[in-house]
Amino acid sequence: MKYSALLVAAGVLSAGTAFAQQAPIKIGAMYPLTGGGAVYGVPAMAGHQLAVEELNAKGGIMGRKIESIERDDKMNPSAASSTMKELITKDKADIIVGGLSSAVGLAMSEVSKQEKVVYISTIPKTIQMTTDKLHKYVFRTASNTDLEGDTMAMLAGKNKLGKICHLQLDYAYGNDLEAGILKALPKYAPDAKVVLTLKPKLGATDFNPFIPQVMAAGCDGVLSGLWGPHFVSWVKQAAPLGFFNKIKWISGGEIGSHEIAGELKAEYPDNVISNTYELWYTANDPSHAAFQAKLAKKLGTQETPQWAVLGYIGVMYTAAAMEKAKSTDPDKVAEALEGLTIGTPVGKLTIDAKTHQANIGQFWGPMVKKPDRAYRMMEPAEYIQPK
Amino acid sequence: MTLTMFTLNAFYGLALAMNMFIIASGLNLIFGVLRVINFAHGMFYMFGAYITFTVAKTWGAPFFVGVLAAAVALGLIAFVVERLLLRHLYDKEHLMQLLFTFALVLLMSDAAKMIWGTDQYSVGYPPGMGGAVNLGFVMLPQYQLFLCVVGPLIAVAMWFVVDRTRWGRVVRAATQDREMLASLGVNVPMVYAAVFTIGSALAGVGGALAAPRIALVPGMDATIINECFIIVIIGGLGNMWGSFLGALAFGFVVQFGTVLAPNWQDVLPYVLMLVVLIIRPWGLLGRPETGH
Repeated sequence: MKYSALLVAAGVLSAGTAFAQQAPIKIGAMYPLTGGGAVYGVPAMAGHQLAVEELNAKGGIMGRKIESIERDDKMNPSAASSTMKELITKDKADIIVGGLSSAVGLAMSEVSKQEKVVYISTIPKTIQMTTDKLHKYVFRTASNTDLEGDTMAMLAGKNKLGKICHLQLDYAYGNDLEAGILKALPKYAPDAKVVLTLKPKLGATDFNPFIPQVMAAGCDGVLSGLWGPHFVSWVKQAAPLGFFNKIKWISGGEIGSHEIAGELKAEYPDNVISNTYELWYTANDPSHAAFQAKLAKKLGTQETPQWAVLGYIGVMYTAAAMEKAKSTDPDKVAEALEGLTIGTPVGKLTIDAKTHQANIGQFWGPMVKKPDRAYRMMEPAEYIQPK
Repeated sequence: MTLTMFTLNAFYGLALAMNMFIIASGLNLIFGVLRVINFAHGMFYMFGAYITFTVAKTWGAPFFVGVLAAAVALGLIAFVVERLLLRHLYDKEHLMQLLFTFALVLLMSDAAKMIWGTDQYSVGYPPGMGGAVNLGFVMLPQYQLFLCVVGPLIAVAMWFVVDRTRWGRVVRAATQDREMLASLGVNVPMVYAAVFTIGSALAGVGGALAAPRIALVPGMDATIINECFIIVIIGGLGNMWGSFLGALAFGFVVQFGTVLAPNWQDVLPYVLMLVVLIIRPWGLLGRPETGH
C-alpha cells in the first residue's frame, strides 16, 4: 500500500518535472459563453479544449505544456477588447484564438495590432479583417464573407434564380456578405435581378414586419445570411403562411449544420440550400473519423455540432506555427503562419502568406428529408474549397 | 401599402402587442402593489419558455400542459423567492430591491445554463395551429390569431379579479395604505406574496406562449425586459389598462415602423416612449404623483 502510494507519487513527480522544466505556453481563448452567442461559443470552446488536451497528452508544444486561458467574449466588441487586453497584459497569453461575431472579431484584431500579439480568428467572417484592416498579427482560419458570397452567387446561378430577395442582418457580417454576393452575382447569374433588400437587426426575434414584404415581392429565391436563432424564428413565423412552398432559400450562416436540423426536426422547411463547416455524417479526410470519435466521447453524443472543429483548428494552427518558428515570439509566430500548411479533420489547409486567410472550405447542399431519421440531412453535401 | 398588406401588418402588430401585454401585465401588477421593479421578470419569461420546451418537447406532453406547467413552476419559484428573501426588502431603499432582483437574474441565468445548457431549442405549434386562415384577400397565421384572443381574455380576467372581487379590493387597498389594511386584520404579507406569485406566473405564461413563435436561446430574457419596461412606462406605472394600451402602441409602432422605416427599427420603441413621456410624463393612463 505504502509502496504503491510512493510509486504513484514518484510517477506524478517525474511527469511533473518533464513539463516543469519550462513555463507553459499560454493560449488565450475567447468565445461567447453566455447570452445568445453561447449556442455556438460553447461547442467551439469544447473543440478548443479537445485540441489542447490532445496536444498536452503528446507533450504539448515544443515539449512545453499548454495552458489554456478561457474567457467569455460576451459577443460584445467593447467587452471583448478589454478581456483580450487583460489576457495579454495580466495573464501573459502568448497568442489569442477565437471570437464569433464579426463585430467582435474586428475589435479583437484591433487589440492584436496594438499589443503586437498574434490573433487567429477561428469563426468571425467579415472580409475587412483580411483586406482593409489586415495587419501583421491577424490570421483567419474561418471562411470569409467573400468566399461565402461567391458560393451563394454561384448557387443562385445554378438554381436559375431570376428575381432575388436579399435578406441580411444589419451588422458587419450581413453587410459584408451582401457585398460579397453582389460582387459575384454578375459572374454566375448575369440575368438575375435583386428586387428587394431587407435588413433585420442582429438579435431580432420578430420577423413579421419582413415576411409579408418578401412574399409580396414576387421573388423566386431568397439569398439569406440569417444565422442560427434568426433563421429558426423566421421559419417559425413564415412557415404557417406557406412561405417555403414557392421560394428557394439559399443561405450562408451555416444553417445546414446539424445544430439547426437536429433541433427543428420536422419543422425544418423545404427548399433550403445551405452550408456547414463540418458534418458528423460526412467525411472528406481520414483523420475526420478519429476527430469525430474523440469529440463524440467528449460531448456524449454522436451527432456533434459543427462549431467544435473551428476551435480545434485554431489550436492546431497555433501549435504548428510555434513548432515551425521554434519560438512563441509573436513576430516569429506570425512569420511562421504565413503560407503554413497543416492537416485538419476537414482536410489540408494553407494560410495564404499575403492575405492571412486559410483556404478552408464548407459543405454546401440541399437539406433533404430522410425516411429513417427524425431530422433533415444535407444530401448531396459538396465540399467547396477556395483555390 | 395595399389593403392586404395593411391588414396583415395591423394583425401582426396586434398579435405582438397581445404577447407583450401578457408578460408586461405581470411586471405592472407587481410594481403596482409591491412597488418593486422586478428585473428578473425577463428571466421568468425565459424560464417559462424553457419549461414549456422540456414538458412539451422533451417529455412529449401536449403544448398546453407545458403552458400550465410554466405558470405553476414560475408561481412556485416566485412564492419561495418572495417568502424567503424579497419580503425582507420592502422597507429598504429601492436600490437594495433593484440589486436583489438583478442578483436573481444572474443566479437564474446560471441555473438555466446548468439545466438546459446553451443549445438552441424550438417548440412546435400546438396541433391545428401551425397553419393559416385564408380570408380571401389575406392569410392570417392561426397561432397569432390565438394570441389575439388570449391577450384580451387575460386582460378582462385581471380586470374582473382586481375590480370586481373582494380579494381585488384588498389588493387595491394594499397599494393605498398597507398599515391601515393590516390594522383591519388583513394578512398583508400574504397579499404581497400572492401578487408576486401571480405576476411572475404571468411572465411564465407569456414565455410559454411565445415559445412556438421564436427560437429559444440563452439571453432571450435581456431584450424582453427592456420592452416590458417601455410598455409599462408608456401605459402608466401600476395601471393594468395602461399596460394594455401601452402594449398596443408598442405592437403597432414596432410593426408599422419597421416596415416603413427599417433603418429606425432599433430605436422605434424608445422614440415611442420619449414621445409619450414628453406629452404625458406619467404615462397614458397613469396619474401624476401628488401630495408628497
